[in-house]
Amino acid sequence: MKHRILSLAFTVLVALPLFAHDDPTGMHITTKSPKAHLLFEQGMAKIEMLHVQAGLESLRKAVQADPHFALGHIMLNFFSDDPAEQVAERDQALASRQYAGPEEQMVIDWLVNASQAHWIPAIQAMNGALDRYPRDKHLAWLAGWWLAVAQNQSPRAVPLFERVIKIDPGFADAWNEAAYCYAKAGNIDKAFADIKHYAELIPNEANPQDSYAEISRMAGRFDDALEHYRMSLKIDPSFHESQLGLGDTYALMGDEPRARVEYAKAVAVGTPTQKVTWGLQSAASYVREGDFAGADAAYRQLALDAHARDLANLEAEAYRSMALYQKDPSAAADLLAKAEAVLHEPHNVPQVLLNEELASVWRSGVDRAVRDGDWNQAQALLQRLSDMAASNNDELIGFAYAGASGAIFLASGKFHEAISDFEGDPTNPVSMRGLFVAYEKSGQKDNAARLAASLASFNIPVIEQALVVPEFRKQRADAAGAHASTPF
Amino acid sequence: MAVIVDKANTQGGITLADLVKLFKFDNHKWPDGRNVVLVMLEPSTSDVANAFEKIYHMQPDEVKALMSAHRSSVVFVNSEDQLLKSVESIPGAVALVDVYSITSRVNVLKVDGKLPLEQGYFLR
Repeated sequence: MKHRILSLAFTVLVALPLFAHDDPTGMHITTKSPKAHLLFEQGMAKIEMLHVQAGLESLRKAVQADPHFALGHIMLNFFSDDPAEQVAERDQALASRQYAGPEEQMVIDWLVNASQAHWIPAIQAMNGALDRYPRDKHLAWLAGWWLAVAQNQSPRAVPLFERVIKIDPGFADAWNEAAYCYAKAGNIDKAFADIKHYAELIPNEANPQDSYAEISRMAGRFDDALEHYRMSLKIDPSFHESQLGLGDTYALMGDEPRARVEYAKAVAVGTPTQKVTWGLQSAASYVREGDFAGADAAYRQLALDAHARDLANLEAEAYRSMALYQKDPSAAADLLAKAEAVLHEPHNVPQVLLNEELASVWRSGVDRAVRDGDWNQAQALLQRLSDMAASNNDELIGFAYAGASGAIFLASGKFHEAISDFEGDPTNPVSMRGLFVAYEKSGQKDNAARLAASLASFNIPVIEQALVVPEFRKQRADAAGAHASTPF
Repeated sequence: MAVIVDKANTQGGITLADLVKLFKFDNHKWPDGRNVVLVMLEPSTSDVANAFEKIYHMQPDEVKALMSAHRSSVVFVNSEDQLLKSVESIPGAVALVDVYSITSRVNVLKVDGKLPLEQGYFLR
């Protein structure tokens, strides 16, 4: 009887095609393990519904079932938020590449190169795969995701999400991602139309309500945001991103104690990386209410937590964040030095993340040195940023260099040069504020007005937003009030 | 914007000064002796228009006049897809294209030692 079972099992295995092909609009998946294949399909289905952690769990089981499953490894590399896992899975994907099919190999080449900031071969591999498999909805979705999320290229991502929708109008997340792209482009009506369609497709899922809430928040409709985050949590109490969204929304509304209560609920249930990342957002709530002692305590604890988990980029980010609001120049300098020292220690974190954080630290150092009148330090840090940017294709490092260079030109009264550089750092409120000043000083009133409106409505809860936007809104309101009360 | 050439072009990189000579028809030959063929997309997007401005330092009408005077060395196309296919298939072809559109069927030239998306790249 035992022999018969083994024999049957062998028959089933050899009968499976090498390239399983479940769906004419899907990717060929190469694994000799039916279990790994099934787990992979389940994992990607969860990820495409944005149940990312559950999806990652399935992918981890898939590569356990077949350690040579290259596509499984590269998807773990791409979607994991654990830096050590990213490195390990990238190496596994490369080691297993020979076992993968041609389409999978192109995906591996694309994502491995991207994880190393080798952008030209990454883009070539991505476009090669898209050309060769134009009806693969999963591939188009993945490319759109990479462009929109990892490359900040929303306008280029839109045609890919539209391609997915054309192939399969029931592919829910394509509507969701397209909506975010439209929202970022300022096309709020189209964004809400797509989100509405997304919610109609999967009414029992939490994420459509979460997306509706986030786009409402981006548009400054905070009450709507709170309502939809709560609807999301009612559908799925374990949808922790919505819990985080409640914290973010209260923070942006100025109710910081309530924000911290909501953040604490999210942090309690997050992954180790999420606990620190979301904790940083909670710590920023102290900065928003001017409680710098409270902020110091929160950031120091987060730095310790990150250190214990070897999340070096987040540990450095905690110190960098603290430096941003210090009144004492030497305290700020000490914190930035501490952040830099952390990044130079050996860590099991992808170099691309360490480099990006180091660029942020140096950029903050330039801002601080300019503010404190330390020109030698500003120029020295700018040179380091320039050297790093010259040897690195990473767009975020380019943004950091552009913002730092713009700050020095602005302080030197070279407004046209400052404009050119600040325009190269389009999403950082510190640079946006500098660009606004440079536009005004150089007489570009229309550009200044357009940018002022954009900065005043900037509702992404990063530390730079906390430090710049509320103050900017207040100055604008004061200026408008003074103008209104000026007698004729 | 990326400067792309056909796969047989093994040059790898070019100085900005030499690139401008190619685009202004001051130099008609690649180092391997092949004729230079410029593949041009109508400057309908701001990126393309900005790139032309940086290379030619000319008004659009002046660029058009320059192209008309060198028709035998220029191939005009209507779409990015046509542009990529032309560069793939025409020996000695060179063109400017959105970096996110490049494929492995063309080579990307470094300009003054820099690739697109690198800090200091002239068409960043």
